[in-house]
Amino acid sequence: MVGLGLDLSVLENPSKSAATDAQLDGLSVGVDLGMQSFPLPQVHDLDSFEREVMEYVKPSHGTTTLGFIFQGGVIMAVDSRASMGSYISSQTVKKVIEINPFLLGTMAGGAADCQFWLRNLGTQCRLYELNTGKRITVRAASKLLANTMYSYKGMGLSMGTMVAGWDATGPGLYYVDSDGQRTKGQVFSVGSGSLYAYGVLDQGYKWDLDVETAVELGRRAIYHATFRDAVSGGTVSVYHVTEKGWTKISGTDVGELHYEYYDNPEKHPCNGTQPI
Amino acid sequence: MSIFEYNGSAIIGMAGKECVAIGSDLRFGVQFQTLATDYQKIYRIHDKLYLGLAGLGTDAQTLAARFKFKHNMYKLREERDIRPSTFGQLVSSTLYEKRFGPYFCSPVVAGLDKDNVPYLCGMDTIGAIETAKDFMVAGTAPDSLYGMCESMFRPDLEPEELFEVLSQCLLAGTDRDALSGWGAIVHVITKDKTNSRTLKGRMD
Amino acid sequence: MGESQYSFSLTTFSPSGKLVQIEYALNAVSAGATSLGIKATNGVVIATEKKLRTTLVDETTVQKISLLTPNVGVAYSGMGPDSRVLVRKARKSAQAYYRLYKESIPVAQLVRETAAVMQEFTQSGGVRPFGVSLLMAGYDENGPQLYQIDPSGSYFAWKASAIGKNMTNAKTFLEKRYSDDMELEDAIHTALLTLKEGFEGQISGENIEVAVVGEDGKFRVLTPAEVSDYLEEVE
Repeated sequence: MVGLGLDLSVLENPSKSAATDAQLDGLSVGVDLGMQSFPLPQVHDLDSFEREVMEYVKPSHGTTTLGFIFQGGVIMAVDSRASMGSYISSQTVKKVIEINPFLLGTMAGGAADCQFWLRNLGTQCRLYELNTGKRITVRAASKLLANTMYSYKGMGLSMGTMVAGWDATGPGLYYVDSDGQRTKGQVFSVGSGSLYAYGVLDQGYKWDLDVETAVELGRRAIYHATFRDAVSGGTVSVYHVTEKGWTKISGTDVGELHYEYYDNPEKHPCNGTQPI
Repeated sequence: MSIFEYNGSAIIGMAGKECVAIGSDLRFGVQFQTLATDYQKIYRIHDKLYLGLAGLGTDAQTLAARFKFKHNMYKLREERDIRPSTFGQLVSSTLYEKRFGPYFCSPVVAGLDKDNVPYLCGMDTIGAIETAKDFMVAGTAPDSLYGMCESMFRPDLEPEELFEVLSQCLLAGTDRDALSGWGAIVHVITKDKTNSRTLKGRMD
Repeated sequence: MGESQYSFSLTTFSPSGKLVQIEYALNAVSAGATSLGIKATNGVVIATEKKLRTTLVDETTVQKISLLTPNVGVAYSGMGPDSRVLVRKARKSAQAYYRLYKESIPVAQLVRETAAVMQEFTQSGGVRPFGVSLLMAGYDENGPQLYQIDPSGSYFAWKASAIGKNMTNAKTFLEKRYSDDMELEDAIHTALLTLKEGFEGQISGENIEVAVVGEDGKFRVLTPAEVSDYLEEVE
C-alpha cells in the first residue's frame, strides 16, 4: 500500500481498534467494511453537505445496461455514454466491469462508485479464493457487494449494478444497488434507458434462445434504448458468460448500427410527421 | 431542467458569399425521451427568408404561425415580401410584446437582403437582437455549436462549401448534446433557389 | 365620440345613394386655399397658398405644410384644425410602423393609413368627415410619389394635382404644362406658375408655402427667402 502511494488502509482497518485486525480471518473480509472507514468531512450538517456534493460527483447518470440468463449462459450488454445533465461527457465508457474471468459487473449510476466498489468486490473475491481454495459463487459475491452497499446506506453512494457470472451451480445473475437491495433474477435491465431495453428484451426473450440470437437480442435491446433515451448511446458492447468464463462478443458504434437496422431514414417509424 | 431544454434543439445560421444557410437538428423529444426524428425547427417565410426557432416546441409552433400570419398580412398590405432585416425587427418587436411572460424560444433569422447580401441575426427570448456577419447559433448546446463554428467558419464561402461547413458544425456540435441531433436538415439560400438537404447523423 | 347608445353616424345615405355629408366636406375643401403638387423624375414639389384674412396675423407662425416622416410631408386644402388632427394621427402611425419594423414607413403605407382614418370618420358614430383634402408627397424605395386623399377616404397617386378653391383652373394649367421627363427644378417653377395663375393679389415668399423632397429623401419646406428666389426666376 505504501509503495503504491495510495492510502486505502481504511479498507483493511475497518474496526476502531487496530489490535483486532491481526485476528481478522478471511471469512470476515468485507463484512466489517464499516462506514467509519472513510474520513467524514468536518461539517455541521453532513446530510445537506453530502446532498450538495452529490451534484458534483454524479456524472454518468444516463445509462442502459442489461443482462439475462438463457439456455446458453448469461448475456450482458451495455451502452457507453457518460453525461452530465444534457452534456455528453464521454462516448467511450467501459460499463461492463470485468471482476475476474468468471464474474462481470455492470455500471449504472455514479461511475466512480461503480468502478471503486466493483474493484473492491474483485479484491474480496480473490481473498475468498485464497482463503478457501474455491471460486466464489455469484450468490456470495453479490452478497458481499450488497453488504458493502448496506453499510454505506444513506451516505449518498449511487450505483445500480448487475453481478453476473458462472459458478459451480451454473449461471448466476443478481441485481444489487446502493440502497442495499439485492435480487436474483433471469432478466434485468438497469439505467435511464432500461424501460426501452425491457420493451425489446421481454418481447424477444425465451429460455431456448441460441447464443447468436441471444447476443443479437441483447445488442438490439441496447440499441433501441440508445435511440429513445437521450442520455444513452455511444457503442453497444455485448458479453457472453459460459462455464469457461466470460468473453466479449462485440462492440458496435451506434452511429453505424442504426443504419444497419434502418438503412433508409425515410422508412424509419419515427419519420412521417408533416412539417408545418 | 430548464424549460428551454424540454424538447431539445440545435440551430445554426451561417453567411457565405451571396448566399446564406440555416440548419437544424431533427429531434423532437420530451426531456430525455426521443419522440420523433423528423421534426423541423426551421420555417420558410418566403423564398429568401427562413426563420429558425429553438427552444420550447409548443411556443415555436405558435410563433411560427404568428409570423406566417404577420407576413401574409404584410404582403397584402405592402404588396411585397418582407426584407430579412425588417423581419428581424418584427420578430424582435413581437417577442418584446411578451416581456413579462415570454415565449421560450430563441430565434435565428437567415435570409438574403437586397443585392443578395446575406442577413443573419439571432435573439434572446424577449427580442434583444444580435446581428452577425458570420454565424449565429441557438439551441440546447450553444457552446458546442459555437465552438464548431468558431473553428470551421471562413468568410465568403460558396454555397456548396457553406453547406459542407454548416453541416459538419451541426453534426459534430450536436454529438456532444444529449438533447439534439438524430439527423439534421440544412437549407442553403442562394439568389436563384434554396437547396434543402437532410443529413444522416448519429441516431443516439 | 358620442354617448354609446345614441351614437350613430351622421354620415347617412340619401335616398339617391349619396352621402351628402361627404359632398359638404368636399365643398369645404373647395372653399379652402389652393394647394398643388407635381411629381418630377427626381422628386416631388407641393405648394399651397397661405393667404390670411387680415394682415395683422403674424404669417411667419403659420405652417400649412407639415412633415410626417423625414421623407414624407403633407399639404392640405380646407379646414386647418381638421388637418392638424390628421397630421397628428399620420405622424403617430408612421412612428408605430417604425417602432415595429425599425424601418421608415413607405409613402403608400402612410397614405393608406391616413386614408383609413378619414374613411373611419365617414362611418363612425358621433363624428363628421374631415373638411380637408390632403396632398401627400414623399420619396422612398419606389421613387418620388404624390398622393391626394379626399374626405371620403379615397386616394389616388398623381403625376400632378391640385385641390382647393382654384383646383379646376390649376389642373387645366398643370395638364398643359406637365411632362413626364420633368425634373424637380422645372417642377418647382411650374408649381409656382400654376399657383400664381389663380392667385388673388401679389404672390410672394411670405404668402405661399413650398416644400420639396428629392433623391436625398429629405422632405423640406422652403424658407420664404428661397421661395422668393424661385419666384424671381419664374418672372
